[in-house]
Amino acid sequence: MKERAVLTGKHFMSGDDACAEGALAAGCRYFGGYPITPSTEVAERLARRLPEVGGVYMQMEDELGSIASILGAAAAGARSMTATSGPGLSLMQENLGLAVMLELPCVLVDIQRGSPSTGLPTMAGQSDVMQARWGSHGDYSVVAYAPWSPQEIFDLTILAFNVADRFRVPVLILSDEVIGHMVERVVIPPAEQIPHWERKGPRQPPPALDEPPYRSFQADEDDLVPPIAHAGEGYRVHFTGLTHNEIGYPEITPETHDKLVRRLIAKIQRNADQIIRTEGYYLEDAEVVVISYGCTARSARRAVREAREAGIPVGFLRLISLWPFPETQIKDLACTVKEFIVAEMNLGQMRLEVERCVQRPVRGVHHAGGELITPERIRGAIQEAISR
Amino acid sequence: MSKRKASEYQSGVKPIWCPGCGDYAVLNALRQAFAELEIPPHEIAVASGIGCSSRFPAFLNTYGFHGVHGRPLPLATGMKVGNPALTVVAVGGDGDGFSIGGGHIPHAARRNIELPYIVMDNNIYGMTKGQPSPTTPRGTQRKASPYGSLEDPLNPIMMALAYGTTFVARAFSGQPKELAAIIKAALLHPGFAFVQVLSPCVTFRNTYQHYREITQPLPEDFDRTDLMAAMRLAQETETLYRGIFRQDESKLGYVQRVREMRAQVKPLAGVDEVVEQYAR
Ligand code: SF4
Repeated sequence: MKERAVLTGKHFMSGDDACAEGALAAGCRYFGGYPITPSTEVAERLARRLPEVGGVYMQMEDELGSIASILGAAAAGARSMTATSGPGLSLMQENLGLAVMLELPCVLVDIQRGSPSTGLPTMAGQSDVMQARWGSHGDYSVVAYAPWSPQEIFDLTILAFNVADRFRVPVLILSDEVIGHMVERVVIPPAEQIPHWERKGPRQPPPALDEPPYRSFQADEDDLVPPIAHAGEGYRVHFTGLTHNEIGYPEITPETHDKLVRRLIAKIQRNADQIIRTEGYYLEDAEVVVISYGCTARSARRAVREAREAGIPVGFLRLISLWPFPETQIKDLACTVKEFIVAEMNLGQMRLEVERCVQRPVRGVHHAGGELITPERIRGAIQEAISR
Repeated sequence: MSKRKASEYQSGVKPIWCPGCGDYAVLNALRQAFAELEIPPHEIAVASGIGCSSRFPAFLNTYGFHGVHGRPLPLATGMKVGNPALTVVAVGGDGDGFSIGGGHIPHAARRNIELPYIVMDNNIYGMTKGQPSPTTPRGTQRKASPYGSLEDPLNPIMMALAYGTTFVARAFSGQPKELAAIIKAALLHPGFAFVQVLSPCVTFRNTYQHYREITQPLPEDFDRTDLMAAMRLAQETETLYRGIFRQDESKLGYVQRVREMRAQVKPLAGVDEVVEQYAR
């Protein structure tokens, strides 16, 4: 079954298909989803492929059910995933908050389309960036990756499962219709080369009835992550979205609440080095830096390369992880860079983040969604920034 | 005699329920059913939503999952397919199950997912202090319905029967022995088992006396495979029948369906295999 799960070889594949194959290669064995354009192909591929590898695909009755079911499967020990687009992600927000609170590892794929509301179902957008970060109520942290090619959505889906498991956190793949429907070469490595990070399991046997109860939310001091005991493994675990103590029982006090919420956020900060991914081009001597991600990063790279060829001192920072935001790296760049340009298919969601981090002018190249931002527009912004 | 005692399933957390709440009887009945079936506590997972009755998992010594409002069924479904060896039970109240979560019941029934769903129906929102629920009789006056509620109540048994649920039963917290027997039968059912428990809220809608007067067991010669007969008796509202309205074991459960499908799956040929075929 292992060899059926990892389709080692060279393929010509869409981003949605590559995402599904990345999930299978990562060991995902449960998918619960609801049809929505432009993510449906992720579900369709998994509907065909999961039974081949002993997994379960379920078309749920709605997105609320989809995410609830993957949390159930995660608690039962399965690597589990759902895929959706903006409207579906809106419906999943309550349970996304629950996944954060209960520290349940799972992967949510959002193939973004033009939004808000029903928007542009068949056209690309990148405007779920802040929804992914802040969409559920309360203070919390999540992890989100934005692939820029079918190959990268394959790789990042594997990373998403690894990060989710290692740090007990829901991880989003924040892709877009362009990448989801684009067909490119995808190279799938041999099964033994697929990186695999384990969930930490309990280190002591289940306590006897007369012993103190198992502390399923007692975090380790180094990484702030509690080991996870799945249903059926012999441990008594109680999950509740209510503020809970280390045993998992409700403890409705301001002290317990503040401590818990702070740890959930600190857990991501503490391990940020292992989670954050960026890619830099021509940054050493850059006076202007273009920041972009996902499909728009493809236009940005071309614009920057052409500007460089024309002798313009411009660099390019591609955000691979959007959340946590690579704050330190951008602050460091601001020491030498005169101006930043943020190119994204929304009206300035990440530009706000960059502005928050740097005391430099930040120029935006935006579009509300539906068509790719061209290299020419970004090139124009570079020209304006340089000649300012 | 069972080798296990009902007390083995007790978590040590004291229920937060008001003294006299109908949910105590359901908790005891479920513990007793587990003990009689000798299911080890760690092989049981209980999923719930939000409300007084949904606090249930904390009071059991099993794996427990107190999720968000209205989603115990998809949550339990994920647990069951995630680890089919588990005995998974979904529990909740009438607001959780028939209002916010009402969209999940037909699909659990269509899948015939192997788990019982126990709804503690008190005809009121207890935790938020007495607003009308989907089973509150029309005209009920409360703070949120000062002139009397305008909606008609649902008939959960009719609803479950209409959805094709393969096990449908009604029990009453005031009849604990019968309740435990029904829950035990639900646990043994190889598909989706819906149990409506008339479980009075003594604080906001005390119906003990009312149910003592109007409920009675299903007729002795009642045939659990006769859907039309079940519907006829379920429609009665002057008399509320208690017992198992439907028990149909002819349909495969979801986990079994998945297993059957997997056995028939032929993996698509890879590129190399296709090339190989044409190479000759
Ligand atoms: S408010 Fe009603 S339903 Fe809630 S615990 Fe009290 S008696 Fe039970």
